[in-house]
Amino acid sequence: MSALLELHGLEVEIEGLPILRGVDLEVRPGEILGVVGETGAGKSMTARSILDLLPAKASLSFDTCTFAGEDFIPARARQLARGHRIGFVPQRPRGSLNPVFRVGKQIVDTLRRLRGMARREAKEEALNLLRSVRITDPERVYRSYPHELSGGMCQRVCIAIALAGEPELIIADEPTTGLDVTIQAEILKLLGEVIAEHNAAGMLITHDLGVVADVCDRVAVMYAGRVINLGTTLEIYREALHPYANQLVSIASSLDSGGTPREIPGRVPNPGDELAACAFAPRCFRAEDDCFGEEPPLIHIEGQMAFCHHPLTSEAASV
Amino acid sequence: MTGPSDTLVLRDLTKIFRIKTGSFRHADLRAVDDVSVSITPGRTLAVVGESGSGKTTLARLILRLIDPTGGSIRLEGTDITRMKGAALEDMRGRMQIVFQDPYDSLSPWQTVGRTVAEPLILHENMSMQDATEPVARMLERVGLSPEHARRYPHELSGGQAQRVGIARAMITNPALVVLDEPTSSLDMSVQSQILLLLQSLQEERNISYLFISHDLTVVRYIAHDLAVMYLGKVVESGPAAEVFASPRHPYTEALLKAAPRPDPHYKTDHVHLLGEQPSALDRAPGCPLYGRCPIAEDVCADTPQELVEIEAGHRVACWKRT
Ligand SMILES: Nc1ncnc2c1ncn2[C@@H]1O[C@H](COP(=O)(O)OP(=O)(O)OP(=O)(O)O)[C@@H](O)[C@H]1O
Ligand code: SF4
Ligand SMILES: [Mg+2]
Repeated sequence: MSALLELHGLEVEIEGLPILRGVDLEVRPGEILGVVGETGAGKSMTARSILDLLPAKASLSFDTCTFAGEDFIPARARQLARGHRIGFVPQRPRGSLNPVFRVGKQIVDTLRRLRGMARREAKEEALNLLRSVRITDPERVYRSYPHELSGGMCQRVCIAIALAGEPELIIADEPTTGLDVTIQAEILKLLGEVIAEHNAAGMLITHDLGVVADVCDRVAVMYAGRVINLGTTLEIYREALHPYANQLVSIASSLDSGGTPREIPGRVPNPGDELAACAFAPRCFRAEDDCFGEEPPLIHIEGQMAFCHHPLTSEAASV
Repeated sequence: MTGPSDTLVLRDLTKIFRIKTGSFRHADLRAVDDVSVSITPGRTLAVVGESGSGKTTLARLILRLIDPTGGSIRLEGTDITRMKGAALEDMRGRMQIVFQDPYDSLSPWQTVGRTVAEPLILHENMSMQDATEPVARMLERVGLSPEHARRYPHELSGGQAQRVGIARAMITNPALVVLDEPTSSLDMSVQSQILLLLQSLQEERNISYLFISHDLTVVRYIAHDLAVMYLGKVVESGPAAEVFASPRHPYTEALLKAAPRPDPHYKTDHVHLLGEQPSALDRAPGCPLYGRCPIAEDVCADTPQELVEIEAGHRVACWKRT
C-alpha cells in the first residue's frame, strides 16, 4: 500500500540546537497514526514541520517527503499545508479560535479562503460542517462567540474548521488534553468518525497511551527528536521491539492493571545535550558498548520498524 | 463511621458563590454542596470528578483559604471552620498542599532552599539559619541533593520541581496534605517516581492525603477511599477498590467507562451520558445528573436523593440504584 504522507530524514534546528534529528514516518490512506513520546521528544515540531508552522528562526531539511505521491516540501508548500489538503486540530481549542469573532464568521472565512466560496454558499456549508461534527443546534453555535461555548464544543468547532478544506490528512496535536474524561471520549469518537467519513487519514499526537490504544491503527514512538519505533498498535502494545517503547507501554499497562508504578532511570535529554550513538543508551537496560559507539541499525520485524542494536524480539525477550 | 482519631472530618460542608447574572440580579452557585467525608491517619481519600465539579473549591475550603458558607471542618479533632489569626497560622503547619503545576507553585526568584524553609519560618518561627539543616535532610528525603537548595526553579526539570513542592509540603510534618493533581503535568516515567515517593512518605509518617485527580489510573493505584463529585455534590463514595469494581452511580459508571486504557483490546464506551455538563447555576433541584442521566425517572428531577449506604462504607446518591 503506498503511503499518503512519507517523510524521511526530517531535521529541524533552532538556533543551532538539533530539535529533530532525522524523523522517518509514513501515514497510510485511511489510517490513524498515533505519535507518542514524552515532553520535548519532538512530536509537535514534527507536526509543525508538515504544517508549515515552524518558528521563524527554525531551519529545516529532509531527504525525501511525498504527499499523495507528489514531492512535497514542508515549510514551503503553503497551499498544501495551510488547511487545504492537510487540516489541523490544535491542543487548546479556545485559544486557537479568534475571541472577537463569532464562530460562524470564522468558518465562513476559512471556506472562502480555501474553497473560494461565495458568502451565502459558505454559510450553508458552515452549518453543514457544524452538523457534521454532531452539533445539534448549529444555528446557535454559528452565532456564538468562542467564550460562550464549552471546551468540548470549541473543539468540535475546531474540527469543523479543520474539515473545511476537505483535507486528505488531519493532524491533531493533543486534541483532548485538558478536556474532561467523558468529553475526551466523545471528541475521540468524533475524530475517528469524521476521518473515516471524509476518506481522510489522521495523525494523532498524544502522550496518553490510553488514547492511542483507543483510536490509532499504528503508532510511532519518538525519543529525542527521532521516531525510534513504529508499528501497528497491536504489535507495539504486545511487544515493542525498541526497549524504550517497550518500557513505556509496560509502565502504562502495569499501572493500569493495579501494579506498582515503574520508572525508567535517568531523564529525557534536552536539545544540545551530548548524545550517545543511540540517544537512549544511558537509560537502556539492554545497552552494550556498540549502543554508545555505533548508530543503531534500522530493523524490520513483523510489521514493526525500530532503530536498535538489541531489539526485544520474542526469543531475546524470553532470555 | 467517623471517630475521634480521624485526621479530617467534613460535615455538610457548603460553599455558595454569589454570581452576578445581570445588573441587579444575582444567582447562587453551590460550588460545594453538603459534603461530608473523613480521612483517617495514613490513608488517602481521592476526590474525582470533571472540571467545575468543585474539587479545587473543596481543597481551598479545607485549607481555610476561603470561608465556607455552612457546615464544619475538623482537623485532628479541632474545629477549624471559623478559626482565625494566630491560631489559624499555627494550624497551617498541620495541613499543607502540593499543586498541579510544579513551576507555577514555586516563586521564580526564590531559591529552592528558601522555598522549602518557608513553612518552618512562617508557622514554626524558625530562622532561615536554623532551617538549613532540616531543609537539607528533607531535600535528600525527596530524592534531591542538599546542593539543590541553592538552585532556582528554572534550573529544575518538571519532576525535580514537583519534588521541591513535596518537600515544602512535608517539612512541617503535617497531618494532612492536599494533593491537587500532583502528577498530571508530568511524563509517565516521572509520574511513577512521584507516586512512589508520595506513597513511601505516607507510610513513613502516617500522613493523610486528600488526592484530587481526574486521572483514574493514578487514583486506582494510590487511593484507599474514593469520593466522586458532580456539580458540587458527592454522588458516590466508599473504599476505592469496591467503587472501581462495582460503581453504582450512573455518573461514576460513565466516568469509568469513558476513561481510555492502554490496551488495544479494551473497548472504551464513548458516549454514556446525554448532552453536556450544565453550569452549576442551572442545575435541576433534584439529582445533579438529571438531564444527562441515561436512566433517570421523574422523581430524579425535583427530589434530591441523599447518600445511602448500600454496603459497608459504600454510599450512593441515586434513586434508581439504592
Ligand atoms: N519556539 C521554540 N524555540 C526553541 N526551541 C523550541 C521551540 N519550541 C519547542 N522547542 C524545543 O523543541 C524540542 C521539541 O519540542 P516539541 O514541542 O516538538 O516536543 P513535544 O514532543 O511536542 O513535547 P510535549 O509533549 O511537551 O508537547 C523541545 O526541546 C523544545 O524545548
Ligand atoms: S540501541 Fe542499544 S541502547 Fe539503544 S535502545 Fe537498542 S539496546 Fe538500548
Ligand atoms: Mg507538543
